Parts: sequence; C-alpha cells; structure tokens
Amino acid sequence: MGVLKPDYDSISRGATDAARHREKIKEAIKRNLPEIISDEAIITRSGDQMVRVPVRGIKSYRFIHRYRDGIQGGFGSGESEEGKVIGKRPKPGNGRPGKPGEEPGVDYLETEIELAELVEMMLDDIGLPNLQRKEIVEAVVTRGWKQDSIEKHGILPRLEKKRTIKEAIKRMEVLVQNLMLRSAREEDECRAALEEADGDFDEALARLLSGSNRQPAAEHGRISGSGGLRIESSDLRFRTIKEDTEYESNAVVIAMMDVSGSMDTMKKYLARSFYFWMTSFLRVIYKRVEIRFIAHTTEARLVDEHQFLHQGESGGTSCYSAYELATNLIDTEYPTRKWNVYPFHFSDGEDWDVDRTVSSLERMLDRGVANFGYGEIQAEHSSSVLMEAYRKKIGLEADRFDNFSFFRGSRGISPVLGVIIRGKPDIYPALRVFLHSGNPGGRG
Amino acid sequence: MNDLDLKKLNVADRLIREIGAEFGLDFMEQEFDVIPARKMLEILAYRLPVNYSHWSFGRDYEIERTKYQHGFGVPYEVVFNSDPARAYLMETNPLPVQVLVMAHVYAHNDFMKNNKHFQITRRDMITSASEASQRFRRYEEDYGREAVEKLIDAGMAIEWNIDPEELIRPETEAETRDRLYGWSGKLPAEGSFDDMLPKKKSVSLEEKRKLRRKTPPEPTMDILKYVIENSPLLSFEWQKDVLSTIRGQALYFLPYRRTKIMNEGWATFWHEKIMNRLFAEGFLSADEHGYYNLYNSRVKAHSPRTINPYLLGSALFNNIEMRWNTGRFGPLYESCSDAEEKENWDLHLGKGREKIMEVRRTHMDWFFIDEFLTREVVDELELYVYQEADRGSHIELKVKETDWKKIKQLMVQSLMNWGIPRILVMDGNYRNSSQLYLKHEFEGMPLDDEYCKKTLQHIYSLWGRPVYLETFNPETSRCVVYSVDQDGAPRVLRDE
Repeated sequence: MGVLKPDYDSISRGATDAARHREKIKEAIKRNLPEIISDEAIITRSGDQMVRVPVRGIKSYRFIHRYRDGIQGGFGSGESEEGKVIGKRPKPGNGRPGKPGEEPGVDYLETEIELAELVEMMLDDIGLPNLQRKEIVEAVVTRGWKQDSIEKHGILPRLEKKRTIKEAIKRMEVLVQNLMLRSAREEDECRAALEEADGDFDEALARLLSGSNRQPAAEHGRISGSGGLRIESSDLRFRTIKEDTEYESNAVVIAMMDVSGSMDTMKKYLARSFYFWMTSFLRVIYKRVEIRFIAHTTEARLVDEHQFLHQGESGGTSCYSAYELATNLIDTEYPTRKWNVYPFHFSDGEDWDVDRTVSSLERMLDRGVANFGYGEIQAEHSSSVLMEAYRKKIGLEADRFDNFSFFRGSRGISPVLGVIIRGKPDIYPALRVFLHSGNPGGRG
Repeated sequence: MNDLDLKKLNVADRLIREIGAEFGLDFMEQEFDVIPARKMLEILAYRLPVNYSHWSFGRDYEIERTKYQHGFGVPYEVVFNSDPARAYLMETNPLPVQVLVMAHVYAHNDFMKNNKHFQITRRDMITSASEASQRFRRYEEDYGREAVEKLIDAGMAIEWNIDPEELIRPETEAETRDRLYGWSGKLPAEGSFDDMLPKKKSVSLEEKRKLRRKTPPEPTMDILKYVIENSPLLSFEWQKDVLSTIRGQALYFLPYRRTKIMNEGWATFWHEKIMNRLFAEGFLSADEHGYYNLYNSRVKAHSPRTINPYLLGSALFNNIEMRWNTGRFGPLYESCSDAEEKENWDLHLGKGREKIMEVRRTHMDWFFIDEFLTREVVDELELYVYQEADRGSHIELKVKETDWKKIKQLMVQSLMNWGIPRILVMDGNYRNSSQLYLKHEFEGMPLDDEYCKKTLQHIYSLWGRPVYLETFNPETSRCVVYSVDQDGAPRVLRDE
C-alpha cells in the first residue's frame, strides 16, 4: 500500500485515437462538402486562412433531452440577480440551432480547418490526380536577348576582347615559365627570346640554349608591353546570346455579373460563392491570382468587391458591355501571353442584344482566354435567352458530370463551360464541373 | 519527483489515514500511483487506466490536453472504486497539491466503501477493462477495425440506457414471467405481506401461451441488455462481448454519475478538515498551507454556467451538520415564524456528524438535493437558473430564476434517472415480426430530435429490423413516433 511511482508504458493510446478522431472529422467534412462550401460564413470571412466549418456526425449521439437539465439554459452560482446577463456565446454557423452539450465532447460542433486543406479535399473529391494539380502551371514569356555563355568559336562581331587578351596573357606566362625551367635562364631573357621568336616556343628555346638570343636592355629591367603579346586563334573568345525569357504563373479571374434589378441578393450570393471558390482553387495552380469585378446593366464598370456585391441598379441588361470591357481589360492589363485569363459571367439569362453579345463573346474568346465560364442563375419565372443563344451560336454541347448537366464548347476549340444554377445545392456540382473540365490541371 | 518527495508523500498517506479514522471515516485499502501528466489526461479521457480504443476517447483526450495546456490550474484527481482503491497523482504537482489530492481521495474512498449505491458494482474494473482492451484489439484484427468501431459507436449510444436494479435483483426472463403471472409456485416468504396483495387472476391456457410469447415479459429500461440478449442480428460472441463490456463499464460508472454532487461535496468537506489538521500538526508549513488555500479556492470556485459539485456538495454537508447540531429541522423549527428566534435556534443536539455519516450511506444526488437543499444554501451560494435567448448575432445567457423553491424543483427534475430520458423497451416482437418498439416516459422534458434520430439509427444497426420510438410532443400535445427502417433514414410518424 502507500504511494508508488510505477513505470508506465510509453505507448500513447490517446495520441493514436486522437488521430482517428481527426480522421473522422475530415471524413465528416468531406461528406458535407456541398453544404460547407455554400456556407456564407466561410466566404465572407476576413482574410484569415483558417475557416470554421460545421462538422456533423462525430458527436456521441445518445438519447438526451432537448434542453440540458430540462431547461433552456442551466444552473449557475455566484453574484446574480434576476435579469442579469451572465454571458453570451456565439451562434453556431449557418444558422443551425446550437446545442449546449451534455458533456464536453459534444460542443465539438465546429472545427477549424485551413482553407487550403478544404480546397485539397474538394480536389480529392473531384478526383483530380495529385500529380496533375501539383504542377504549377507556368508560361514562358520573352523579354529580349541576354548573354548566355563564352565560347571558343563564334562570329567576329561577338568577339569578347577582354577575355581574349586575358587568355593570351595566360598562355604567354605559361610559356615563359616553361622556358625558364628548360633553359635555366632569367625570366627577362626568356621573355625577350620568346618575343624575338614571334611567340614560337621551340625557336625561343633553341635561341636561349645556343646563346643566340638578344640580351634584354638592363635599363628597362623588364621587356614587355603590348608589342610583346601575341594573340593566337586558340585565345579567341566569343559571346553567345539567347532569348531572354521568364516563367510566369499568373491567373486572373474576371468576374462579371449582371446587377440589374432582376438579380436579387440570393442570386448575387450564389455568384459570389462561386467566384470565391474558383479563386481559391486557382491559387493552388498559379502562383499569382488576381480577381477583378465587372458589374453591368446596360453599361459595364469596373468595381470593387463590395460594390460588386451590394450595389443593385435598375435598368436593362446588355451583356456585351461586360464582355467588351473585359476584352479591353485583357488587352491593357492582362495580356494572355502573360496571364491565364478566366472570365466568368453570371446572369439570370436576360439580354437585350443577343447577337452583339455573342459576337463580343467571340471576340473575347479570340484573345486566348484559358476558360470562359457562364453561369445562368434561373429562378422559376426567369426569361432566360442567353444560354440558349450560346448553345446555338457558339455550339455548346450538353454534357454530364456525376449527374449534373452542363454545357461545353467543343473540345480543344472553344474553352467555354456553361452551367445552370437554381440554388445553393447547385454550387458545389457547378464548381466540380469547372474544376474538372475547365482548368489546365484537369483538362484532358 | 525524487525519492525524498515520495517518502514525504508516504508520511502524508499515513497521517491522512490516521486523522481520517479519528474523524470517524472508514476506509478501504488505498493505493496511489504517481504518474506523468500525459497518463493522467489519458485516464480522464478513457475513464479507466487502460481501456479499449475508440475515437471518442481520442477526442476527449484532445479536449483534456487542450485544457491542460491552457493551464486551467485545477488539481487533477482520479480514484477508482476497486479493492484496494486506486488513485493517481500527477507527478508535476507541487507537494501541497499532492497532499490535498490525497486527503480528497481518502474521503472518496470512505464514500465508495459506505454509500449503498456503490455496493453493487464490481471492484475489479481496472483489470477487467485492461483485459477487454486486449480482446477488442484481437477483434479488430479478426473482424476489421471498422466493424468494431461501428459496434462500439452503437453500443455507446445506449450505454446509459441500463437498469441499476438489475444488479440488485438479477432475474432471468423465465423468473420474471413466473413472478408476473404467478407461475413461480413458490410460497410467499415467512412474515411477508404477499398474501395481502390482490390474488393473481387465473388465466386461460390460450392466454398463457400468448403471454409466454410476450417479449420482454414486462417493459424494461435496460435497452442495452435487451438488445444483447434478443437482437435478431447479433449472432457472434465477439459482438455480444463488446456490447456487454460497454454495459459493464456503464453499470460501474453509474454510481459515480448518480452521486456526483454528494461524492465531490463529501471529499471537499473532509479534505478541508484534514488539511487544516495537517497544518496544525506542523506537517505543512505556512507557505504550503497558503498554497493549498489558493488551490482549494479554485476547487470551490463559483461557476456561472454550471453547477460546481465541489462547492454545492460541501456547502450542503456543512449545512446539514450545522442543522443537526443545532436541531434546525422538523416541524417545530419549520413552523417557527419568528426570524430572530430562528436565527438563534440551538437545541444543542450535537447530532451533525452522525447525520452526515448517515446521509453519505443512504442517499444519491436526486434525493440529496430534494431533501437537503435549503433556502440558506441557495442564498449562500447565490444559485440561479439562467436561460438562453437568441439575440440575433449571438446567444445571450440571462439569469431567469433566483427563487430557491423553483431552483430546487428544476434541479431535482434534472437529476432524475441520472439525467437521461427514461426510455423503455415495450415490445421486441412488434407487428409480430421482430420489430423493436420503444417508449419514452414523458416527464415534462421533450427529447432532442437530432440526437434521438441518430441514436435510433445506432439501435437499428444493432437490431437489424425496424425500430420505433414513441414520445410526446408538448408543443402539439400529440404523440410522436419515430421509426428507422432498412434504408436507415429516420422518419417521423405522427399520431400512430
């Protein structure tokens, strides 16, 4: 009996089972991806790389009362009087009812996860193989010419004079050292002999050995100078040049949206969440990703994110105005040789000048955009003409991805994808279409 | 911790035993193991020193570790109702905290030895759980980790749906039938009043046959046991072993659950007295005693959002002792309306110590609060009931009730049936096709819808045939029946 200090095994069961628990959290997140990615709290979060996501399915379920202790609240002690507020707690995300747990574990309703990890999970879910998407997509851009290396052969205009003279001096010095060794004469004598022999080593040596060489003038001390240096063809050095190129890994999302009266808050939200995830996703493939916002009615303007989301305008709808502005933006700021351009357009399908819209779109496509995405947010009674027009005039074909139908341009010819979104549940399937079929990692 | 410290703790162990015995406490043998922090956190999460593997224990381990790393600064104490009783000391704690934990543990020891609800549980649980963990590991190898995990998930979902009476009067199903239908043939025991009970009706052969087929013979709240013994799905011994292990552990922990306030209150009441004696006798220096006081105040801290059992329990025992010392109980005292007279009431009964010793033998929290929570204690601790209100952006917690009678009534209600809804197995052969029909005995508190559905899915995974649960919705004043069928999706059938 008494107090002992036993040796305990060093195996940490806690750590192993905790890992299994985290695994289960991930599984639960994956199962709920469609709900999680349409969660407003994630998209509207500020800057932070960590996001809070609701996790279901890893609580310890059992029969419990709706309210802990049978009251909608609990017991407490300490200074109090009726009506005093003793605290508050945040509401669980997504407006789901919160539940104070019966025990500590049950409060694990939400968990933090890195945004990047969430994107990874989506990619896993879509089934993009690791290798394809790990390769950062880089483009080669030419800037001009730059020096590459020094070679022994070349054309005269690119003769590298300094290096050639250096080589000649180097060679001469080696010969002089050799002469000194073989003839056992002084350095000055050897140098003079070599000069006399026009740089011919054998002749200079013969002269030195036979004593027929000229003695160097004592007052000079040392005979040398440019006259003494002989350049042979083996001393010649030439510059080579090559194209100066740079690797760029840039992508820009040009987010276009109809902000006319018929686009209500919900529709805008659907568009916004789509842009958010698309941008997050492109960050995995490209080193630099920018997003620009174009709001349009009959006229299009570059706006900031806030205006994009919150400014509604009355007026009609001319989609070409947005495409023309986007094309202009591509030409001036995002040339397609340096940028992978991803224009996306969300509207409810209304358009006043379909023909002009189609031709503006074609002009934009001609700039060589990486992928153009068109999302039509349809309400019950919307008069949508645009998707139909694109189908006919741009030649979109109907396709399916995991039971979600969408439209695509003919493979390899026009990089266009069109989806119809009717509500929150469509966001994830639509994204899957774009991630799977509309990006360089997934195409093919 | 070095040998010198260990020696000092062994001296403390002897002193505490002696002082406790002087106070009239009655101990089992007691062992202490000094362990690293990690092991302590594991014991808290796994409930036992070595237990089977499950992700929910891993989750709880992470929660404990996070709390520890954020330095909540409350001393950890774990003691098991084994024989000898075994407790754990965290090696990183300073000496006064170790001694505090030891004094506290000894009082738990006395409580477990003497409280009647602890008498029915097995005292070899530490070994038993360790052996189970070996067997479960083998099952994982033989039948797959997923299968074992799924079974544990389901078993744990109904681990508290057990019946402690079962341990007091174990009865086979046949015996229950005999008891119910008067077929036992046994004569009433000498001196019993059985002959005064109404005579059992004689039943026809036809009816007897029908009754014989009835399962369970009478409604039972031990859903877990009923499932283990009667599930049409569970056919392998290992499955029954896993579920029986879970049930065995729940039965073992049930007395802790039912006496949380009393048990912690009792331990706190006594550790304060023992620590003061150790200081008076010079075992603890003034510095060490000051250190102890700091920790003790944390143990007894008010907690605004929950009941601190250490605080409430010890206040109640102090109050009971005072009342039975002064005779402040019974109709004479209750009916006295003179405030001053009541204030100075003292019959010099001196029965306080005797009374608390008796209460610790016979009560559990539910009756303890019902019988002894007085206005004085509610006022002294400033107990209250708060309510949660949705304020749009957040949930606000606001004090709703400070009336002592109302608080007491709600608290008693929350402690009923160890805090879980009372759900009975009514019929294991519902619709004459082995379907399982459960019924919630509605006592004013509705079930949680989400938890209810998920738990039914777990039961379905154990039963393999449709499962029903009948409950009552107070908002519509209607009976509600949940059902889980082959497709696994819970449905709500109303007005069944």
